[in-house]
Amino acid sequence: MNRIARETVSPRPRVPSREGLADTPFEPRLRALSTAEDWMDWSGCLSPRALGAVETEYFAIRNQATLFDVSPMHKYRVTGPDAERVVNRLVTRDVARLAPGRVAYVLWCDEDGMVIDDGTLFRLGPQDFRLCCQERQFAWLHDIAWGFDVAIADETGDVAGLALQGPTSHAVLEAAGLALPDLRPFGIAEPEPGLVISRTGFSGDLGYELWLRPEGALALWDRLWVAGADLGLRAIGFAALDIARIEAGFIMAGAEFQPIHRALRPSRGRTPFELGLGHLVDPGKPHFNGRRALLREAARTPRRQLVMLDIEGTKDASGALVYHRGRREAGHATSAVWAPTAKRNIAFAELDARAARSAGLRAEIYTLKEGRWERTMASATVIDRGVFRPPRARATPPGRF
Amino acid sequence: MAFDHNRRPRAVVIGAGVNGLAAAATLAARGVDVTVVERGRGPGGMMTGAGQGELGHFVWNLHPAALAELGLGAADLGLGAEVATVLLAADGRHVVIEGEAISFADGTPHPDAAAYRALRARLARFAAVLAPLATAAPPRLGSGMLNRAGLSDLAQLARTGLGLRRLPRDARREFLRVLLSNAADLVRDELPDGPLAASLVFDAILGGRAAPGAPGTVLALLWRHAGGGRRRPAGGMAALARRIAGAAEARGVTIRYDATAAGIEVEGDRVRGLRLGSGEVIAAEMVLSSLGAMPTLRLAGPAHFDAEACRRIRGLRCEGTTARLDLRLAEMPRIEGLDGRLAGARLLLAPSVAAIEAACRPVKYGAIPASPVAEVLIEPGDGGAEGPAHLSALVQHVPYAPECGWTEAAREALAAAVIGALGTHMPGLPGLVTESRLATPRDIETMTGAPGGHWHHAELAADQMLTLRPVNGMARYASSLPGLWFCGAGAHPGGDITGLPGRNAALAAAADLGQGVTR
Ligand SMILES: Cc1cc2nc3c(=O)[nH]c(=O)nc-3n(C[C@H](O)[C@H](O)[C@H](O)COP(=O)(O)OP(=O)(O)OC[C@H]3O[C@@H](n4cnc5c(N)ncnc54)[C@H](O)[C@@H]3O)c2cc1C
Repeated sequence: MNRIARETVSPRPRVPSREGLADTPFEPRLRALSTAEDWMDWSGCLSPRALGAVETEYFAIRNQATLFDVSPMHKYRVTGPDAERVVNRLVTRDVARLAPGRVAYVLWCDEDGMVIDDGTLFRLGPQDFRLCCQERQFAWLHDIAWGFDVAIADETGDVAGLALQGPTSHAVLEAAGLALPDLRPFGIAEPEPGLVISRTGFSGDLGYELWLRPEGALALWDRLWVAGADLGLRAIGFAALDIARIEAGFIMAGAEFQPIHRALRPSRGRTPFELGLGHLVDPGKPHFNGRRALLREAARTPRRQLVMLDIEGTKDASGALVYHRGRREAGHATSAVWAPTAKRNIAFAELDARAARSAGLRAEIYTLKEGRWERTMASATVIDRGVFRPPRARATPPGRF
Repeated sequence: MAFDHNRRPRAVVIGAGVNGLAAAATLAARGVDVTVVERGRGPGGMMTGAGQGELGHFVWNLHPAALAELGLGAADLGLGAEVATVLLAADGRHVVIEGEAISFADGTPHPDAAAYRALRARLARFAAVLAPLATAAPPRLGSGMLNRAGLSDLAQLARTGLGLRRLPRDARREFLRVLLSNAADLVRDELPDGPLAASLVFDAILGGRAAPGAPGTVLALLWRHAGGGRRRPAGGMAALARRIAGAAEARGVTIRYDATAAGIEVEGDRVRGLRLGSGEVIAAEMVLSSLGAMPTLRLAGPAHFDAEACRRIRGLRCEGTTARLDLRLAEMPRIEGLDGRLAGARLLLAPSVAAIEAACRPVKYGAIPASPVAEVLIEPGDGGAEGPAHLSALVQHVPYAPECGWTEAAREALAAAVIGALGTHMPGLPGLVTESRLATPRDIETMTGAPGGHWHHAELAADQMLTLRPVNGMARYASSLPGLWFCGAGAHPGGDITGLPGRNAALAAAADLGQGVTR
């Protein structure tokens, strides 16, 4: 299992110390549980890459239930009479069709149609939205909102977030007195005043995200911890979740695409079409940022295509170059993992559009073996994204496991 | 959407300034049914304070290409002969420039005349190299040869390049050096500081906020030396504006005065017409706006523009710095040695480059200049409302929003500064003033709607010129909203009474219509 504990899961460099990093509201519990002392910088917050062994944490996601602190995620609140117009102006999907109490996965683009970031959009009310994302967007949201009647608040520090993911996650909620049997995927509920629970997550499995004011964070953690004692509940770090999200076919900013506002080279920008997310662009709705550029892009074949590859063998293809028909370099792997549940060696890879549609791909994988690099050419096949998409993730009411 | 070819395409032009009228005539000449809507009660925009009187002084570059669209020859404009320029000197040795002749007021030859003429000749040569740039949309740099449009742009660039190649090798090097330098250095390299040097520098800074040492000032200077000398329209700017409006109407353009554009109608990501303040909607395939970029954006609404475009337009620098002072005088004032040559001449109150630099400074701190520089025109009255004589001054650099606010005292202070400075040359002047009227940049904005009351609608500086005018991404007259075009001074090549932005924009819009493309 050593390939699971690989080093390159995070887009951010590992920080050896906690120096200068802010504590999240859950920090006392995380610190108490950490045996690996493997921390990383997530948006300036101290965040566990792993609390214990990554493989144990990964299997807890797939077989039991897990807690992952998502408080460092940037959270913005958009409220006011023009809130729907502003959010619709931001994202490529049609927000008018998002009902209050529902969540949508969204992307937003710059004027050239290049993806700025992706995230989840919560419609908390007719004129009330929350956007959760990886990148800082406060200034951009103000640019988007200029000329409109809305208020924009950065709620990042005011809302603690906890992801409860895994097949027994609803059972944990139930044991904690927070049962939500009727909550459908992408639904939002408020079982108790001040506690918002959405049926969302990054694991591809049954799962929830819990949102509340930081003051209540530790009490909530303890309540779930006690409730989950007999249900295999485990606290996890980012590394395990990263495996799960690749298996589930979810892209990540900084890995599968370079957020255009962070890219120094404009050519590093990617359109939703190139990321295989064209279905998230709704050209039928009124003008939104980048719409005209996206219409032009939609009319022509994308330059590149992000695909999921199934790679022969078991060697981790992280960073592998991909060749098409022998020696022609056609792209590279952006994230790769041996998918333990699906038992497949998979990778997200960005390929020339033509190569992405054809057979005869080979990945050039380098492995370090006791001080020597070994090179393997493994054949690779484009497959549907998401090798782990169990029906239980969508069942309502959730099954009992 | 394909256009119905049995019907003439319709366009609405916002604003009956020189550029709105040039745009309207250009389109009408190509079979488009054009209506001009003008908020003011007469034509002329910033030439006339939108029909309220007189703001401008002289015409020097009303471009033949724009006149051709209007069906006018230079002779139809009622422009008189080139006016003489009188440079008021601190030591009383005023300088008179009449065409190629440069001398002191008493007739003695000026020692720097030859150097001045050589420098002007050089400026004219360089201006000729740049001239093709003014009559077309700025080249789409870096677009390569991906499409036909890109190809023709390259051809255009090559022509400019050719112009450059026709210069002798040394002149070519010199051209590139000069372009990147600034007006103050350029002039001071060739002439000792004094009224003669200052007269050229004044041409570079008139209407802008930049000081003589700022980059981009040389380009402004060259644009202004591309045309001929200064001429004064008979009957003033109002009469000239009426002639231009009449020419547009003769082309079939309908002009509606007292009609305020209140909103641009958009449907399916395309302009469908213009809504007036009265609520009336004029249906049209396209709207050409001669207003500044920001008022135009507001008419359509930010919802139709990407956030980046809104941000760029928000960031435009467009605080005007030119004020106009009008004085009614009891009789023609006198200047020693200049009797008889004063009336109708262009008087420059700018004794040195250093004085211009000093006059440019206070505006940075929101202060009113104590020793402003100005272009002054004195005309004998017709015995009517304007009295026996009339003096007007275009004063630089006057703040748009002074720290102290435009109080009565602030206005009086500025008027007193101008009258005082002129009074040193015309001792009797203060006593002759029977009425004084000041139009600050803010007043000019109120009168004409020009952002900041700015002469060019937006500062003509290196970062707001050519492919960056009005803003990056909209430099070829097309706003990003299909069917909406920029056709005023805020677009390339900028302000002054040239008619070029209007004519160029209309050609671009007509080409777009001709392709039947809605983009
Ligand atoms: C004080 C001063 C003196 C100047 N002197 C000279 C000079 O001597 N020589 C020279 O060459 N240049 C001079 N200029 C510059 C020159 O006048 C301008 O650059 C030029 O006239 C700009 O023309 P335009 O058509 O682009 O815009 P404008 O002349 O500004 O025309 C815009 C028109 O739109 C109208 N409008 C605004 N809002 C609306 C609305 N909502 N609906 C309908 N209509 C609307 C305005 O009333 C105006 O008529 C001077 C400028 C100033 C400020």
